[in-house]
Amino acid sequence: MPDLSRRDFLKLTTRLLLGASGLIGLGMFARFLGHPLETPAPVEVDLGQVDDFPPGSRTPLPQVPALLVRTEAGFTALSLRCTHLGCTLDAQDEGFACPCHGSLFDEEGRVLRGPAAQALVRLPVTISESGRVILTLEP
Amino acid sequence: MTRRLVLIAALLLLLAAALAWWLERRALQPDPLTPTLTGEVEYCLTCHADLPQISASHPVETFGCVLCHGGERLALDADLAHSSLRGGDNPSDLAVVEASCGGGDCHGGDPAAQRDHIQRVMTSIQVNYTGAVTSLRFTFGAQPDLTPVLGTFASVDASLPSQTGILSLGLFDPAAETHPMLQAFGQNCLTCHINAQPAEGEAYQRYTGCAACHTPAALEDVPLGEGEDGRNPGGVHRLTTAIPYTQCNTCHNRGNYDLRSMTFVERQDEAVTRLEDYYQPIAQFTLCEYTLDCVDCHTRVEAMGDGDIHAVKSDIQYVRCSTCHGTPDELPLSMTLGDADDLAIHLAFLNPVVDLQVGDTILVTSEGEPLWNTRLLPDGGYELVGKATRQVFRFEPVMGSACTQEGSDQSSAYCHTCHAVKR
Repeated sequence: MPDLSRRDFLKLTTRLLLGASGLIGLGMFARFLGHPLETPAPVEVDLGQVDDFPPGSRTPLPQVPALLVRTEAGFTALSLRCTHLGCTLDAQDEGFACPCHGSLFDEEGRVLRGPAAQALVRLPVTISESGRVILTLEP
Repeated sequence: MTRRLVLIAALLLLLAAALAWWLERRALQPDPLTPTLTGEVEYCLTCHADLPQISASHPVETFGCVLCHGGERLALDADLAHSSLRGGDNPSDLAVVEASCGGGDCHGGDPAAQRDHIQRVMTSIQVNYTGAVTSLRFTFGAQPDLTPVLGTFASVDASLPSQTGILSLGLFDPAAETHPMLQAFGQNCLTCHINAQPAEGEAYQRYTGCAACHTPAALEDVPLGEGEDGRNPGGVHRLTTAIPYTQCNTCHNRGNYDLRSMTFVERQDEAVTRLEDYYQPIAQFTLCEYTLDCVDCHTRVEAMGDGDIHAVKSDIQYVRCSTCHGTPDELPLSMTLGDADDLAIHLAFLNPVVDLQVGDTILVTSEGEPLWNTRLLPDGGYELVGKATRQVFRFEPVMGSACTQEGSDQSSAYCHTCHAVKR
């Protein structure tokens, strides 16, 4: 181990301290600038491979919430947010019911009973080049 | 010298970084929620996750907290988060209700869409108390006739055309009155309309605004009067249309007004049973008047108003014995539900004590309001299900019975002559 004079030791310590504090300061500044106030809502949702949804399937997507339907003609998705105030709908034997204010919708999303006045929203579904089912949340 | 200063600054920065790291480790980790209606993240559930859902019609995932309560949605410090709450612990107080319950056009919108609740309440006699104010001001010479001009809540009838012709009410200010009896009335007798602060004492405790009726403290297990402001600790987080008579009794049946001294005289009897509690000793009442809850017969329009300003209570209180029982010559008014969108079915959904279906026949008031908790039975009798108790009551029409009443006389005293309960 080379001899280190007292002066060199103090110089090295000073530089180490300055370097560490500079790096920490830069890190804190970068973190401050990069801190997201709100996590932006995803616009698209990757639902998986096409083969995961066989023809004739009706797959609830509680995280959206929506219902993904695959027919011989392709994919469609029905938003399960009530068009009255946005409550999440419950699936029933023949359609959907709003637990908040009682609106009823048929399997195609048409209003059977208010207070909702508009049919359920259909969400666009596309197939990516790699064969994955992509749901777009904004119609 | 300069180098030493730089070194000290570096050390201070390191210390500050260590302190920031330590504080962040101790800080609350936010529990974010993005309600459907606002689409804006809020951190309220970080501290309030244990609060019960306020009602099935107001799920927190849809409404969040801020839409109704206000507050700083991204604050994790309690004082900062609560610094801009609307109405303190009660966003339904009429001073802020249009911004809270009326937000998003929920309860402050189109009458045709049944969303005009706030406008109706603001003009209702339960809020403005104009019948008593007008009568007393006329009696003591403060106004020339019985035309309502002042109430305990200033309001404007926006639901034109007005059916009563009373377009607005100014605010009754007891301090501006010259007659001492009117001043005493203002001082002693104005604790029982919806937005007034209740009198002291457990029997009177209720919130103001919508919560005066729709947040029945009596349903809670927490004893009243233990909170900082004399109410439940932390407030009662509940809204319901299943309102028990005890909530109505925080104003009604609590005593009498002494018009000689213009004071409120609290009832002195110590009620133990419901029969004793329901009406004060001097009153007469029938079996159904104390076995049912007030809301089982009295309708939402009677309680919350119809959007017009009325001069006296009798103008808006129209449910009579005959509403349910008919008269010797007529059966009570009824209607058969022909549409899933009928108002009766919507009301029954909000308080599902009955499973109303299209095709059911229910009773209606003389104003056409559905008594959705009643039903015509196949044998010609009727049943009523208690909105707060779910008890099922069967009752019969007067027509075909031994009753010899004069059907046109529906006064309380007349029916009580035969049907008053003996105590």
